[in-house]
Amino acid sequence: MEFVISHLVKSYGSKQVLKDVDFVFEEGKIYGLLGRNGSGKTTFFNCINSDIDFNSGSFYLRDDNDGGKQIELLPEDIGYLVSTPTVPEFMTGREFLKFFIEVHEEITPDRTIDEYFDYMMIPEDDRDRLLKDYSHGTKNKMQMLLNIIASPKLMLLDEPLTSLDVIIAEEMKNVIRSQKQGRITIFSTHLLDVAVDLCDEIVLLHNGRLEPIDKSNLGDSAFKDKIIAALRDQNDA
Amino acid sequence: MLNDFRKTLTKVIHLRSIIGYNGLVFALKKTPVIGKILPDALYRTTALKVIYWIFHVIKEVFVLFIGKILGLGLIYGASLLLRSAYTEYEMAPGVSGAELFSCFSLFLFLIYALCGMLVNNNYFRCTTEKEYLVFMLRMNAKKLNNTLFIYDLAKLVIGYLIAGIVAIIAGAPFWLWLGIPILAVCIKLLGAGAQAFIYRVKFKNNKPMKRNTAALLVGLLAGMFAVPAVMVVFINGYYIPVSILLAVSGVLIILGVLGFIELSRFGANLHRKALAANIVRAEVERYKEPDTTKQFKKIKAKGTVKGDKKGFDYLNALFVRRHSRILITKTVVFTVIAVLIIGLVIFSFISSYNKSFGTGNCVHMVFSNLLNFILFGKYQDVLQPYVEDSAYSFFRYLATTHLLALMIPVSIYDNSFKSTQAFFINCDNSLMTFSFFKQRDKIIKLFDIRLIQLCKFNIVPAIVCGVAVNLVLFYTGGQDYPFQYLLTFVIVAALSVIESVSSLALYYLFQPFTTTVNVKGGAYMAARIILGVIAVHIFWIPVNSLLLAGVLVVFTAVYVFVLRKLVYKKAPKTWKVKA
Repeated sequence: MEFVISHLVKSYGSKQVLKDVDFVFEEGKIYGLLGRNGSGKTTFFNCINSDIDFNSGSFYLRDDNDGGKQIELLPEDIGYLVSTPTVPEFMTGREFLKFFIEVHEEITPDRTIDEYFDYMMIPEDDRDRLLKDYSHGTKNKMQMLLNIIASPKLMLLDEPLTSLDVIIAEEMKNVIRSQKQGRITIFSTHLLDVAVDLCDEIVLLHNGRLEPIDKSNLGDSAFKDKIIAALRDQNDA
Repeated sequence: MLNDFRKTLTKVIHLRSIIGYNGLVFALKKTPVIGKILPDALYRTTALKVIYWIFHVIKEVFVLFIGKILGLGLIYGASLLLRSAYTEYEMAPGVSGAELFSCFSLFLFLIYALCGMLVNNNYFRCTTEKEYLVFMLRMNAKKLNNTLFIYDLAKLVIGYLIAGIVAIIAGAPFWLWLGIPILAVCIKLLGAGAQAFIYRVKFKNNKPMKRNTAALLVGLLAGMFAVPAVMVVFINGYYIPVSILLAVSGVLIILGVLGFIELSRFGANLHRKALAANIVRAEVERYKEPDTTKQFKKIKAKGTVKGDKKGFDYLNALFVRRHSRILITKTVVFTVIAVLIIGLVIFSFISSYNKSFGTGNCVHMVFSNLLNFILFGKYQDVLQPYVEDSAYSFFRYLATTHLLALMIPVSIYDNSFKSTQAFFINCDNSLMTFSFFKQRDKIIKLFDIRLIQLCKFNIVPAIVCGVAVNLVLFYTGGQDYPFQYLLTFVIVAALSVIESVSSLALYYLFQPFTTTVNVKGGAYMAARIILGVIAVHIFWIPVNSLLLAGVLVVFTAVYVFVLRKLVYKKAPKTWKVKA
């Protein structure tokens, strides 16, 4: 399975945020979508998630096992984790999870609700509290858990580790790694170290285009310098 | 020093113009339709900035004229009128016209200025430009406050001197022309100095610096009571001699000098603290204001859903349970008031009956008639007084031919608009990030559940409205044909459903809300206005209730069907968080 984006263009008035995004993402890999602040990472995700309209281009899933058949990307194929988690504040964690499993009739849960909470390391005393009283990190974990249960083909993670403490960030990274099989994961961040640490591939969103970075030297300082050089504008020089 | 003053004032005016201009462009760009056409380049268009500047200067001059010249001009005008009246009726024999004019002017001005000092003392008020300059650009707070104060005083003096020319022409003495601006400056210095003194003492005692609301209240009350008191004084031909007024003015001038000394001793650090305290206070007051989002955050933490509700039914039941206060308060209040009115109507009926037929069998007759009505749809001719009453005839006419006007009470008790806001702020806004929530089948499922829920909320007030209309029918001759009473309930129920489905469908088709309870959608507002205008035009049409009920039932069914179809088709694209 591949996720194919073809000549995607998105403008806000005269400002072209996504100029010509053309890329193929492969199943089973975590792609680090690296870009500077304001480079259009969230806009890119919002376009794919149909939260905003785009000007031109297309995207679809391609099934290699079926002779490269194009499959329309449906809302239920997408899991979207936003940096500022929003959860229905009037429900408790347990109530929300119960509701979520019930509305996903197509899913047969392989765990009980408490086992899901345990998997995400959500403390027991939080489970029956209103979500409005959850900490930022726990709300983030809840959001991740729901996306795991929904088991989408494409997982969009928009800076999910932003403002998490070290422990929760590490727990989340492990969960993301453990969930990469069988789906395409795109992880946006503006933090180079996080991208290098977590992702199998690095893709730069720069000047409105996606540019793959050769991963052979992933991790060494020269590689980081290369990315920084690639992201730097001529104006920064 | 003059150079310092000029530099600081230039910075303030420059910043003020930037804030004003950018604020104007921002507001224009947020305007529906126009906002889409206007380019971002507006923010840097020099020509427009110049035009804005010209308007800004005109506004400054206008404020100067209105605030200062008009204020003092009115005082001088009133003094002229009083002088001529006192002279004509010889109410102050032996006193010259100029002296009389001075008495009135000075007296009125002292009241005006002292009230102004209490109410309009902005020396330590932290405006946006002060906040930027002091807390972001690290400007010396004392220098800034003093510069703006001197600028205000200069405007005050110029304005008063211009207004004083009229007084001179009218025969006022020269000292008054020059004295009033000086007195005004001293009273301003007194106000600012007193505030500085209070701040300094409070700071010394580690107490928070806050605006003296008691002084504000005294100022307002003094203003309210001074006017009639002064009128009484003048009407009775009294006046306060110039010597006394001059003595009071002298005291105020001395206090003004003391205020000046206090201000000069008030350090830059204290100025900064006073401004910071002002910001904190403004924030607190803003928080205290009836915050529209706050009402949506009143979530009941306790209680759960009983029974075996699942999925969206479960979600809806939980939502209603945890938001009952927001969702049903309006309908409960309406119902209580309506029931009270109905009670009054019944009481009036019993009372009229009592007058006509005596106390003895009043209750018996009323209830036997009600029973007759319930069992056989008939009543005796005891209701005759109502039937013959012209007011009741009018109500009967409304109850039989203008039931479309029930749209008015329906739109009052229907809480669908606020309910959709609550749906968005506390539920949908967060669930919209999940893909399942945007699937057609799930959207329409939740839509149906919510529509039924909104209709359920409206059942009780709808019944109450129906009872009220039927009571009018009952008291004024009963029903014209079988089931007329029942048809009233059908009509009001249908109108309730139309109102609810309209609000709900518009929410799904335009989703205009933001998480801060603002309504952002121009199309949404336009659609509501169009529906409102149509309703206003329709509900005056006289229709027989039999025909109306038939038409409404069919229309409601078609309307709900069409809107459901639209929601099913469009909502996956339109029902989303505003970017």
